[in-house]
Amino acid sequence: MISSIKKISFTLAMTLLCGTYVSSAQAEPVSIGAVIPLSGASATIGADQLRGIEIATEEVNAKGGVLGQPLKVIVEDSGGRPPSALDAARKLVTVNNVPLVIGEYSSGNTLPIGQYLVQQKRIHLNPASTSGLLRDLGEGHFSLVGLDHVTTKFAADDIMAQGWRKAVIIAPNNAFGQGVIEQFTKHFKAAGGQVLASIAYPEGQTTYRRELQQLAQAKPDVFVYSAYSREGAVINREASELGLNETPWYGYLLSMSTADSDPKTKQGQYGLEVNYIGPNGGAYQDAYKKKYGEDFRTTWNGYTYDAVKIAAAAINKAGSTDPAAIGAALKELGKGYEGATGQITFDANRMRDSQPYLKMKVDNGKLVLR
Amino acid sequence: MVQFFSDVLIRTVDLALIAVGLSCVYSLIRFPNIALVQYAVAGSFLALLLQGAGLPLPVAGLLACLLVGGLAVLLNVTVFERLLASGSAIAMVGSLAVTMILSAVFLVVFGPDSRRFDLDSHPVIRVLDARLTVHQLTAVGLTAGAVIVLALLLFRTTLGRSMRATATNRVLAAATGIDARLITNTVVFLSGVLAALGGIGLALKGEMNIQLGMDVLLPVFAAAILGGLGNALGAVAGAVIIATAETLVTNVNLGPLVGEPLLFLPASYATAMSFLILVAALLVRPHGLFVNEVKRV
Amino acid sequence: MFEFLIHVSTMACLFGLLALSLNLQVGFAGLVNFGHIALFGCGTYGAAIAFANQWGPVAGLLLGGAAAALLALAFARLGRNLGADYWGIATLSIAEILRTFATNEQWLTGGAQGIHGLPMLFGSLPAPWGPLATLGLCAVLLAVCWALCQRLVNGRYGLALKLLREEPQLASSLGYDLAALRRTPLVISGLIAAVAGFLFAHYTTFVGPDQLYSAETFLIWSMLIVGGLGNNLGAVAGAFLMQFLLAYVPFVKDALGLPSEFVAAMRLTLVGGGLLAFLLWRTQGLIPERIGGRHA
Repeated sequence: MISSIKKISFTLAMTLLCGTYVSSAQAEPVSIGAVIPLSGASATIGADQLRGIEIATEEVNAKGGVLGQPLKVIVEDSGGRPPSALDAARKLVTVNNVPLVIGEYSSGNTLPIGQYLVQQKRIHLNPASTSGLLRDLGEGHFSLVGLDHVTTKFAADDIMAQGWRKAVIIAPNNAFGQGVIEQFTKHFKAAGGQVLASIAYPEGQTTYRRELQQLAQAKPDVFVYSAYSREGAVINREASELGLNETPWYGYLLSMSTADSDPKTKQGQYGLEVNYIGPNGGAYQDAYKKKYGEDFRTTWNGYTYDAVKIAAAAINKAGSTDPAAIGAALKELGKGYEGATGQITFDANRMRDSQPYLKMKVDNGKLVLR
Repeated sequence: MVQFFSDVLIRTVDLALIAVGLSCVYSLIRFPNIALVQYAVAGSFLALLLQGAGLPLPVAGLLACLLVGGLAVLLNVTVFERLLASGSAIAMVGSLAVTMILSAVFLVVFGPDSRRFDLDSHPVIRVLDARLTVHQLTAVGLTAGAVIVLALLLFRTTLGRSMRATATNRVLAAATGIDARLITNTVVFLSGVLAALGGIGLALKGEMNIQLGMDVLLPVFAAAILGGLGNALGAVAGAVIIATAETLVTNVNLGPLVGEPLLFLPASYATAMSFLILVAALLVRPHGLFVNEVKRV
Repeated sequence: MFEFLIHVSTMACLFGLLALSLNLQVGFAGLVNFGHIALFGCGTYGAAIAFANQWGPVAGLLLGGAAAALLALAFARLGRNLGADYWGIATLSIAEILRTFATNEQWLTGGAQGIHGLPMLFGSLPAPWGPLATLGLCAVLLAVCWALCQRLVNGRYGLALKLLREEPQLASSLGYDLAALRRTPLVISGLIAAVAGFLFAHYTTFVGPDQLYSAETFLIWSMLIVGGLGNNLGAVAGAFLMQFLLAYVPFVKDALGLPSEFVAAMRLTLVGGGLLAFLLWRTQGLIPERIGGRHA
């Protein structure tokens, strides 16, 4: 019995191994990897990240690929859980032997895979996570998105400029939300404002009325909030039911926070948005609309798009797929790369140090510049 | 104060029907069926599909409830009856497996985005100092109505008497000519209908999402267990307790006690609160607050 | 490829430890624990907290072990007069409470961002040898724990456990102290899970609350059911089979040129469908429990 199981699993493993071997031997594209959440709680966002990757890959290959070969992005599902994300990263490094991996979305997964990739001396491009801890990952890690201290400072200054002095903040109780609350509170105080109350809410509740009313008791000038689309819909609906939308609302990453919300419940909200339509982003936006027949689903597809494009550019510039050479080329490119999300420049820690943010508001269900 | 009660009421309604369904069916099948929370999701999405096919919402909702009831019976006959032969723990793990498979099915069929019924906007009604919407009041009405109908069914009809008899002593009930299997499947059907109605009630207030089942799983179980599994109306009381505890944690200002303007318990512990109450209650009353049962070991 | 095989084998060994320890509770003592991942979490956070405070890894192991033992005792106390299904939900609740605690108490656990940068086991060894040494250590520990579990369940004590599982009243009437009889396997099982957690923390070098979702407990459950409840070899076989299947799903995708979404749906189907299929058609699992002790 036991031996037969062993035999079966061994045969199965060998079949799988050989299958992979054959398929990778047939064509010889230049491969890079990506780990994104295609299942689990952030699946909507992962699916949109995939769209950015697809468009970028098509564009790169239409222009002759990299090093004279077609570019291939091997996309793996992280399942939204750290062990699967690590499995995926390890598979990409040890089996597909890719020099560079893009990923993930949530900081809780980006941190461990980043750490692994840096240990393995591969290049890691972070297309979404904003946790300040990413700064310490070390040589080989590049962040294409401004970390939370950059974004929250912008938000704090923007809110002060509206004349709102007393704020309350509500954000999800995860690595992203805890970072936003901490950093925003710090910057808003430094700018001369007051954060009267803050709540890190548990994700996936059927109602947030209680949390919202607790904040309302503080009688703030403005509600600052950040939410994934699903919770954002609940929060916006309940805030308007409770009449709290008579006070101004400020959405931190406004498109993400309002994506699933009923247009009536988000009317007039202010907020900031990462500038996914940079000066060069118009063509990308058109390509996206043409391919998928709708406007951007989330903010995040632009970053994976830029990640693939800048990776391809770096490989071409380096003239090889050696990770160290690609890293050096990335640093060189990072002195001023024009991406779809605006100009990308890296600081000494290879973090994007400036990010063009947009001051937006919601009007008739659409985000418009204010 | 009125606002406080309305918050408690709304959260209670979110949990009550699914918890009642869970508790009700437990009295006959003797294992907590985790898949019930997925029946709620199925109910809301089926109603959405049927509404999309052109049916008016009440008809679509009713039809969805009946379909989910049918699904519950189907799963009970094909899966759970067989698993129960190996014991209640095995059946419970089996219901967990069904839950996962249903998750995969929902992901493929409905996708991960939130959806909502095609309804008129949500005009806000002021009841004293509380603010509620028509759809919330509808959900409250649906829940109350369903619970009353269930109570009448259980305590005023022959069917209800047979159910309670089978639950108390299956062998004896069979000896008096009651078809235990038929009764069980009737209750399974009812539990499916209740769960689907609960899911529709949740979606009626605002939005529906395929994750919803997993999201309410623990609070629903906490409510059902607090009320005593098998005691259908106890589950309603359990839901009230859970909702009250959560609302107290998030909304009572402790500031005046210590001379500060605002001081709250951390809201991030609100969900943990209900589990804490559950564990504490089980320590004191091992079979829930409203059940007097002999020790089953 | 070879390195990936080592990685998957290491993970399989760690999950093998978890499956063994859950089997001790469910398979032999009949304790339906749905909060098993919390015992594992004691191990991971023991390692992480010791690292953050620079107490050294030995302290981390001790801390994790002590926390797991305490938690196991709490589980046992809670189970003194609860029915199996009630106890299952209670343990699930406790695991969720502890996960919430780990998410919220940033001063102790690093909050949702967790604690990262733990030193790798054998991190100083060059490339193929470090991971190989780790795998070796995990495999040895798995063998040791397996032997321990075998010893425990094959003797008179094991029979008492099975009696407890099948006929608690009879066991009680024969003079067995049921509470004590439940306590011992729980504590031992907690210690094994904590060791697995400690190794996991130092292997992945990152500890966070996202590792402690109840879905992880359910994954261990399906390993156990597939492998065979009440059989130590079955538990380990189930863990290896599931771990390898899950890790190699992406290769099927690569080989057949399927879209990446396939992996997501396939994983859910493998865990849920595998679990259900075995429950329905082969309840005893791949390697059935041996009835009647070692001579049967």
